[in-house]
Formats: sequence, structure tokens, C-alpha cells
Amino acid sequence: MFDKLQQAFWKALTPDLVPEEVKVAADPVAGLSAEIVAALGGVDNLKSQQPVALTRVRVTLHDEARVDRQALSVAGVAGVMPLEGGVLHLITGLRA
Amino acid sequence: MATPQQLQLLAPLSGVLMALDEVPDPVFAGRIIGDGLCIDPTSSTLCAPLAGVVSDVQTSGHALTITSDAGVQVLMHIGLDTVNLAGEGFTRRVEAGQRVEAGQALIDFDADYIALHARSLLTLMLVVSGEPFDSLVGSIGLVEVGQPVLDVVVGAAVGEHPAPVPGDAVFSQPINLPNSNGLHARPAAVFAQAAKAFSATIHLHKLQAQANGKSLVAIMALQTAHGDSVQVSAEGEDAVAAVDALTRLLSEGCGEAVTAPAPVEADAAEMPNILRGACASPGSALGQVMQIVEASLMVNEFGAEPPVEREALSQALIEADMALQHLRDTASGQAQAEIFKAHQELLADPSLLDQARALIDAGKSAAFAWKTSTDATAAMFRSLGNALLAERAADLDDVGQRVLKLILGVHEQTLELPDDTILIADQLTPSQTAGLDTRKVLGFATVGGGATSHVAILARACGLPAICGMPLQMLGLGNGTRVLLDADKGELQLHPDAESIDQLRTRHERQRQRHQQELAQASEAACTRDGQHIEVTANVASQGETAQAMELGASGVGLLRSEFLYLGRQQAPSHDEQVATYSAIARTIGPAHNLVVRTLDVGGDKPLAYVPMDSETNPFLGLRGIRLCLERPQLLREQFRAILACCELTRLHIMLPMVSNLAELRLARQILEQETRVLGLAHMPKLGIMIEVPAAALMADVLAPHVDFFSIGTNDLTQYTLAMDRDHPRLASQADSFHPSVLRLIAMTVKAAHAHGKWVGVCGAMASERLAVPLLLGLGVDELSVSVPLIPAIKSAVREVDLADCRIIAEQVSNLESAADVRAALQQFHGAKVDASPVMEN
Repeated sequence: MFDKLQQAFWKALTPDLVPEEVKVAADPVAGLSAEIVAALGGVDNLKSQQPVALTRVRVTLHDEARVDRQALSVAGVAGVMPLEGGVLHLITGLRA
Repeated sequence: MATPQQLQLLAPLSGVLMALDEVPDPVFAGRIIGDGLCIDPTSSTLCAPLAGVVSDVQTSGHALTITSDAGVQVLMHIGLDTVNLAGEGFTRRVEAGQRVEAGQALIDFDADYIALHARSLLTLMLVVSGEPFDSLVGSIGLVEVGQPVLDVVVGAAVGEHPAPVPGDAVFSQPINLPNSNGLHARPAAVFAQAAKAFSATIHLHKLQAQANGKSLVAIMALQTAHGDSVQVSAEGEDAVAAVDALTRLLSEGCGEAVTAPAPVEADAAEMPNILRGACASPGSALGQVMQIVEASLMVNEFGAEPPVEREALSQALIEADMALQHLRDTASGQAQAEIFKAHQELLADPSLLDQARALIDAGKSAAFAWKTSTDATAAMFRSLGNALLAERAADLDDVGQRVLKLILGVHEQTLELPDDTILIADQLTPSQTAGLDTRKVLGFATVGGGATSHVAILARACGLPAICGMPLQMLGLGNGTRVLLDADKGELQLHPDAESIDQLRTRHERQRQRHQQELAQASEAACTRDGQHIEVTANVASQGETAQAMELGASGVGLLRSEFLYLGRQQAPSHDEQVATYSAIARTIGPAHNLVVRTLDVGGDKPLAYVPMDSETNPFLGLRGIRLCLERPQLLREQFRAILACCELTRLHIMLPMVSNLAELRLARQILEQETRVLGLAHMPKLGIMIEVPAAALMADVLAPHVDFFSIGTNDLTQYTLAMDRDHPRLASQADSFHPSVLRLIAMTVKAAHAHGKWVGVCGAMASERLAVPLLLGLGVDELSVSVPLIPAIKSAVREVDLADCRIIAEQVSNLESAADVRAALQQFHGAKVDASPVMEN
């Protein structure tokens, strides 16, 4: 809906009035430790990773079966929330 | 008092515990709402921690309160700042007033959606009735849903207040709530906390409803929204002090950052002589005040049978659509017509209709359902932290009001305007301005709005002055008050004296003469006094604009934003369509002038429906411009092929946006060369790049041998150099292209280009500023590409200066400390070298 609206207004606003870009606030990119990556089945199993919601890293995996929950816990992941489509939330605590 | 008993609360979710002190939210961490625990959930159904009655469930579904038979109240709040999601991602499984068992499912939520769209998923369970408790699980580790977690001591509630001294209640003035989501959990908690400090009985009133001002849950159950008019009443010894303090708290947002607190009545006695705001459209005018006030509409919550209400809504939507079509057909300008077209699209938006119909099916009236649905969506627009979308919320309010009036059978009154009107309003909506006789209006002043607001667009389109962001006091001005609106200074002067009026008349006369002179000379070349020819070209995004630019004396197009061909559609434009558009523009320009086509400049921030992209954490630093095109080379190849079709019609230049590496330029050139060969063209068009990333400016000497020209995009270059967003509410004024760091990058670019015999243009907003003309010429820029209406003014500014003087001033200002210093020095230069009158920027 937002896209549609923004596009509809593109013509209404003369180009110089439109801010050239629309920014989105960025989270600092939290890297996953080597232990966590290993527990997730290695780099090859990792489709994407993204820090979200202050305390979580959202990862997308090729094969969820390769996740080692025990090893994740040892690597410092306090909680794991499996979701649909190979998405996994790793609760890693508040980012500084 | 009853004998204390134990009540066990069960974990409402599975997840990881977090100490309440660590929760990154001062209201929760400070236990202002109550003490309890925090869980970072790994399950996605909120379950009842105790048996009782659902005493409140927020319509947005993110918070819920249960009261046990013994009076223990437990609030659950899913996530932080999730009120902004306006219900998206939450499914309520219980209703207010319903009795629930311990462990019963209350709310399902989409954890992934919330994680991606809200600040946090951290969920709070708080004992808001204040009973002490013992924790059974500590404050770290894992919990399982349904596991006992707190032992509450029932019957030992604290927070009892002495009985009020009977007496008459003291009432406050009505206050319009400034909080964008009304009094949701956090501001309600701040209010209740403050109310508890008084011994008086305190109530908060909204229309006929009232709530105990000391009860968080009661306040939340009022379901207030942004702009709702509420009143505080107090009864007891310190009633007056309580009403005073709480009124102030409400108008200041109860601890939430709010844009403008809104007292209903402005105090005319304290009105200063000059009111200040921000310029939204330049110019000045003398006239009399006319206030535009939107009547508030009474809406009944409950309606007739759903089919009847559905029909009423459909009928109103059809009528509104017809009215908008009429406004579109009779609109005075293209901009206005486009706005009403966008309004029609809003009317057809399925998500708005779904929400409204769901409410009707739940027994609400058509008016209530429509209002709730548009208000909630507008609140969401406002909460996204994006200035442009926030202003579109005003459009949604406008459409919402239009339909609401049709449902309620309220007729629009046409406003009779006296001559020389200065329109004053909190916010002017497109519908309000559509029926106005603009011949009688001389200017606008509004409390709300900004540079991209509707009133700014309208004012610029009509060439009328406008100021936004005025103090609320302005709304207290009587109709007919004589005022002097000076948008250039951002001032509204009340009861101006004869001297100010004279000054204004002289200034208008001088401006008029100058403008006429500029127009008369528009077709003449732009040469400095010492004979240096400067190309003044246009920034355009359509064939119509191109034609207008050529008429106003542009020597070609310095920036064709090719995005216009791609945006707002579901499929890529066909080859033939692209060819036709580029050719029409090329023919308008002709073989004697340049046409610089910038290749597609979109990215994660301006996504295209048919170019799926992953969402990026920071699209500004992501896959945009040439990066996206090289990622999808077929798109670039097709665009090159279409552009090349007009090679013979004009002096064709192709420009690549966002280049930061030589490799990108090489790759793009390769594709262009292949396409040129395939088409069998005799020679390649010129190929250049935008200089808008500091890396490109710093590497200009390395890039220069490989291009035919550079064009500096000062808007992006400034943002990336200063790391400041031009739309940031606090930083925007500092994100100024006149900053010496940007000037040095421009100087560096020019030097590198000239060393290799290449030309440099500037196509950012800076080139359209008169004040920048001597500076840019002095830095050695060869071409200024400016916004269409300003072509005559910039050409005339070029004719007013000596290049030799420009070089000296450019050299000097590059060594100053700040953008403000640079502007001041240039004003001085202008005064000394050009004429003695103050500089009018427009």
C-alpha cells in the first residue's frame, strides 16, 4: 500500500520537491560467531542472516535438520524459535 | 482486609527471561506500570497466566489485561512499541469482558512479522494492581508456557488511597491528545502514576465515557486516539493542582515525544506581533486572515444490521469516488489532479475496506468502522518515521473525512472568501483547498505540514507564498486580522505598520520587474560579464517538462530522471514504449543541444514491483543505482537499447548513477558498446557518471580518463559526505551542500575532469540556488542543470557575475568553517558585487 501511495504521489510532486531517497534506520550488523555458524550447519547452510528486534538474529537456512540445538546453546544462544520456511530466530540478548 | 492468599501466575509464553531492569524501555524498566517479569518469546501464542475476566484488550491486539475474582490485575504487553503495528501481526482470540481460564490462548502473533517490523518482541507480564509477589524462576534462564512463575500474595494490595473529600469536581479545558497512538500502555502508565500522587479522585473523560485516572487499565480501556479531545476532572483537596499538573502532562504527551502539543484554545492576549514558521513556498503578501476549521463529526459506535451498514459504506465510497473524479476533471493544475487521483486509489485500497467491513460485521456502524480503519492506518503512516509518508497520512485523513461526511449526510459548505485572503489552518487538506477561489488567496500559513506537504505543493504550483510549522497560537487569530506574510523569512507579522507595508510593496515591484526582465532575456545565452559561456540546462522527468524547459531558455537537458518510465506500474515498460518516450524528448531538444539520460536509479528504498529485491537494513547504503543495474544487467541492456534509438535526434549523453568503482563504469561501458555494435551505430553516445558518492569525487582523477563528463549530484554527495539525512527532523538544516567539505569535493572533481579535458555539470538542488551560482562558477563548473521554473533566474544570475570574482570568492569560502559561514560570505559577495538589494532566494 505504501509503495502504491508513494508512486501515485511521484507524479504529483515536482521532482525537486521529492526527497531523493527515503531512509530506513539501520541496525548494526551483528556477526555470528564461528561456533554459532558451525552449530547452524556451517556457512553453506546459511542463506541469510539479519539482526532484528534488539535481541534476535534472524537466519534463513537451507536445511533446518542440520541445526545442532545443543551446540547452539553451548555457543551462547539463549533461545531458538523455529519458524516457517527455514527461518530461525536466535535469541542472543540485547545488542550494545 | 481478607486473609492473604497465594495466587500462582503461569508463564504466558515459552522463552528466555530478561530482568525487568534491563528492558530497554524506561517505563517498563522503571516499573511505572507495575512489577512483574519479561520474556523474550520462543512461542507465539499468549496464554492466560491466571483465571479471570479480560478487562481490556487493545484493538491493536498487542496488549491485554486480566482481572481475577480477587481483584488481581495482570497486564500482558507483547513486544516494545508494537502499538505502531496497528494490529498487523496480532490475532485476538478473546474479547473484552470474556471470562478465561488459566492457560487459555488469548492472542496469536506472527513472531517473524513483529521481529521485522517492530522494535522488539520482549513481552511483559506485570501485576498492575500492585500486590507483592515472589518469583519462582529468578530473572534469567528459560521458561515454558504454563509453568508457574510468580507467587502473588492476594489481599495485600498496596496503593489504597484515602477517601476523597466530597466537593465539586474541577474540570480542565478540553485537550487534544498529541500522542500519535493515543494513550496506549506507556503514556497511560505515566498519566496514572502522576495521578496517584494526588489525594483527589481523578477522572479522565472522553465524550460520554470516563475512566479512573489512577487506573492504567481504565485509561487504556478508553481506547483514545491521536487528536481525541479529553478532559481531566478532579474532586478533593488538591483537585486544582491535580488538574493543572495533569493537563500539562497530557498536552506534553505523557512522556512520549510528540510534535506539537495542542491546547484547544489559544490565548490571544499573549499573541506576539510576529509568528515564526518555516518557508514552504517563497514569496510574501499582505492580506487578511481567514481561518479554516474542520467541524468535528459525531459518530455512533453501533449501527444497524451489518448488511445495511455495509450498503451505507459502499454508497458513500461510490459518491466520494464520483466527487473526486469531478475534482480531478476540474482541477486547476496537474499537481492537484494527481493528488485527487491518488485519493481515489486510497478509496479502493483493499486493506482499508477489509478492516472497515470486519468492524461492520462485528456490529459497528459504517461511520465508526470507516473512521476507525482510516484513523488506524493514518496513525501507522505517521509512526513509520518517514516524513513523506507521514504527510500522506494527512491525505488519508482527508479522504476519510470526505467519506465520513457522506455516510453521516453532512454537506460540504463552500467557503466564501474575501479578497486578499491569507488562509490560516491547523492543516489544509486537498479537499479544503480544491474548492477555493485561488484568485482571492494571497498565501497560506499552517501549523502542520512541511516542504512536501500538500499545501506546499499547491502553493508552489500557484506561485503563492506559504509557511508551515507555525505556533498553535496562530489559530487564535480573528478572521479579518491584517497580516503580512513573509515566507522568505518564515514570518507572519500581525497588524503590520505602514513602513513594513511600504517595504513589501517596493520589494514586490522590484521582484516583478526582475522576473519580467529574466523572462524577457530567457532565450539569450548565459555568459558572465567577462564573457565565459555557461550551459544552463534542465532537470526533467517527462516530455512535458522538457518542452517547458526549452521554452524557458534551457540549453538542453542536464538530467533526465528515467525512473518516471518505470515507477507506478506492474511490468517493465516495453521496448517500443521506451523508444517512443526517449525519442519524443530528444526531438523536443533537437540536434543543437545535449540530452543527458540518467539510467535507472532505484534501489531498496524505491522498489519496483517487477524487480523483486530482498529487503535491506539500510537501502541507502545498499543495492541502488548502477549497483542494482549491474546485478540485473538485462534491465540495463534493455534501457541502453531504447536510449540508443534516439542517438541521431539529439546530442545524446548517457549517465550512470551511484558509481563508486572504476569496475562498474567499465562493465557498463562494455554493455553499452555491445548494444551500439548490435544496432550498427556509427559512433557511441557520450558516457558519463554522476559524482554523488564521496569515493567517486576522491577518485575523480582515476575515473576521468574513462568518461566523457561528470555531473555532480549535490544532494546525495552532501548526505553521504556529512552522514546526515536531508529529511532528518533535527539534522535537515545542517545537511547543507554549502558545507566546505562538499565544496572541496566539487573542486577536486572539477580539477581532475579539466586535467583530462572533460566537462563537469552540477545537477543537484544546489545548482538551482541563486546564491550558489558564483560559487559553482568559481569552482570551475561548466554546466548548471536546474529545476525548470528557475532556468531564467539562474541564467540571469550567471550574467550578473565576473568569473574572475567568482574564482576568488570560491577559493575563499572553501577555507571557511561551516555551511553557515559560506552562506554568509556569499550573501556579502552578492551585496557587494551584484547589487545592493538583499538576496531573494527562490
